[in-house]
Amino acid sequence: MIEINGLTKTYGTRTVVKDVSFRCEPGTVTGFLGPNGAGKSTTLKMLCGLVRPDAGEAQVLGSPFAALPNPGLKVGVLLDAAAQHAGRRGAEALMISAQTLGVPGERVGEMLTLVGLDGAAGRRRIGQYSLGMRQRLGIAMALLGKPEVLVLDEPANGLDPEGMRWMRELFRDFAGDGGTVLLSSHLLNEVEAVADRLVVIASGEIVAIGSPGELRGETVAGSAVKLADGADQAELLRQELTRAAIAFRNADDGGLLVEAPAAEVGRAALRAGVALSSLGPVSVGASLEQVFLELTGSQPGTGSNDAAAAPPESSTDKERNQ
Amino acid sequence: MSALSAEAQARGVEVDGRRAPGMLKLMRIELRKMVDTRSGFWLPIAAGALSLLVAVLTLTLRHGHFGTYSHVFANSTQPLVFLLPIMGVLLVCSEWSQQTTLITFVLTPRRWRVIAAKALACVVVSVAALVFCLIVTFVLTPIISHVPGGAGSLSLAMVGQGWVALCTRMLIGFAFGTAILASSPAVVVYLLLPTVWAALLAAIPGLDPLAHWISTDQTLEPLLQHTLSATEWAHFATTVGLWVLVPLVIGIWRIHDSDL
Repeated sequence: MIEINGLTKTYGTRTVVKDVSFRCEPGTVTGFLGPNGAGKSTTLKMLCGLVRPDAGEAQVLGSPFAALPNPGLKVGVLLDAAAQHAGRRGAEALMISAQTLGVPGERVGEMLTLVGLDGAAGRRRIGQYSLGMRQRLGIAMALLGKPEVLVLDEPANGLDPEGMRWMRELFRDFAGDGGTVLLSSHLLNEVEAVADRLVVIASGEIVAIGSPGELRGETVAGSAVKLADGADQAELLRQELTRAAIAFRNADDGGLLVEAPAAEVGRAALRAGVALSSLGPVSVGASLEQVFLELTGSQPGTGSNDAAAAPPESSTDKERNQ
Repeated sequence: MSALSAEAQARGVEVDGRRAPGMLKLMRIELRKMVDTRSGFWLPIAAGALSLLVAVLTLTLRHGHFGTYSHVFANSTQPLVFLLPIMGVLLVCSEWSQQTTLITFVLTPRRWRVIAAKALACVVVSVAALVFCLIVTFVLTPIISHVPGGAGSLSLAMVGQGWVALCTRMLIGFAFGTAILASSPAVVVYLLLPTVWAALLAAIPGLDPLAHWISTDQTLEPLLQHTLSATEWAHFATTVGLWVLVPLVIGIWRIHDSDL
């Protein structure tokens, strides 16, 4: 259980976190989503007692983090996977944390095995680790004390696709066992598959909170259409849609993206007398991506988000005028 | 992921989460952190090797005329007097340069406990350094020394003062590290400040007597040379206050208040 209430942080004249409030319930994974520099890390550091808030408070399991006598046994934290002594060996770094927590040394080996850093990898110096290996080490460190809560800042950074899948399963299992997970990311596709709830932050302020489904509901759903036959058929459908004042645009695959439910598009196709080979809602990920981009005011193409199919409304006016 | 499910069942029963790690445990961890990195491993070894070398040189050069117990002991501490403060600086500053504060202060949110554990670790290291110098002195001197009239003896008072010198030097480095929180500047300031200080005192007429009280060159060196008088102990105490307590207070205030 995490409760964040009105956290605010100002550096000089710049307010990096402004009145941020949200809760994370046991048994859930919360994705803390926002572009780089939106205030995610500062919020998580305030949660973990590393940055003092100017206003507001944060509680983990009913008390401020710093008031927990041995916090690592209750809350597993990974704030920056790169923040490890480069000259220390991986297993040794875990051993130091294990001793601080007071957990038996065998936990180190268990955790190294769990994250796939057992054997020679654990004996290497962290300076030789890839970012992905450091993330795995950081996750191992967070899990050492068998915590009830996980707080992780950009844990998927540097992981390969296989590693991302592994991590998703890990977090889902952790939440399935009644744990609470809060993880941040600047990439939607990293968290939407694992998170029950998304908290979207932009320029230090929360702009949306909800399940991925709820957030998607905030936009007008569109339909993707493919035609059975050639370009002249597509032209007939375009004319019919224009006549019916339904917004649309051409999709990259030769079909259309229409800002209307599938049934309405189907009726338009019937009136136009064209055959469709496929008709369905605009792909979910793309839509949520657009929600994210609009909420956070960032531009498509920043980061590694590849919005393959933006929903129709974005270029409706241009199409109408053609 | 059955391992995780099993963990969930065992969650919280195995270890007592209501108790913070004790100060002695934190100190042991700090000692371990001091030597478990590449640089941390070689620095004490280099210091010990230099100490050994200086002891051997003391016993053999000039036909061994300086090969008395007290000379060998005093000289063997010199490399450590030089290198322990640097270990003290690194003990604090490496946490900042390597950003491990993000781990250390998450696991131990009451930051003063970490600082206290590190200070205690400095004391332990200075004791270890003293023991090393004593072993070097009492093993090598009887074997090598051929001073006419014997190698003399080493008084307990001088041994005690030797430890005070080692411990104070290391704590000064540690204190500078906590105040500055960056390895290179802290080392540079530690090495340069006494010199700049001495030059400054010499340049300003009338300030010269002050040097007896606060110049580390003048107040710490006698510890290894002769038994200190009450006045000299007062000089020493003033130096500790200025070069250990003042930076330490600044450092604790900075560390306690800083956003990481």
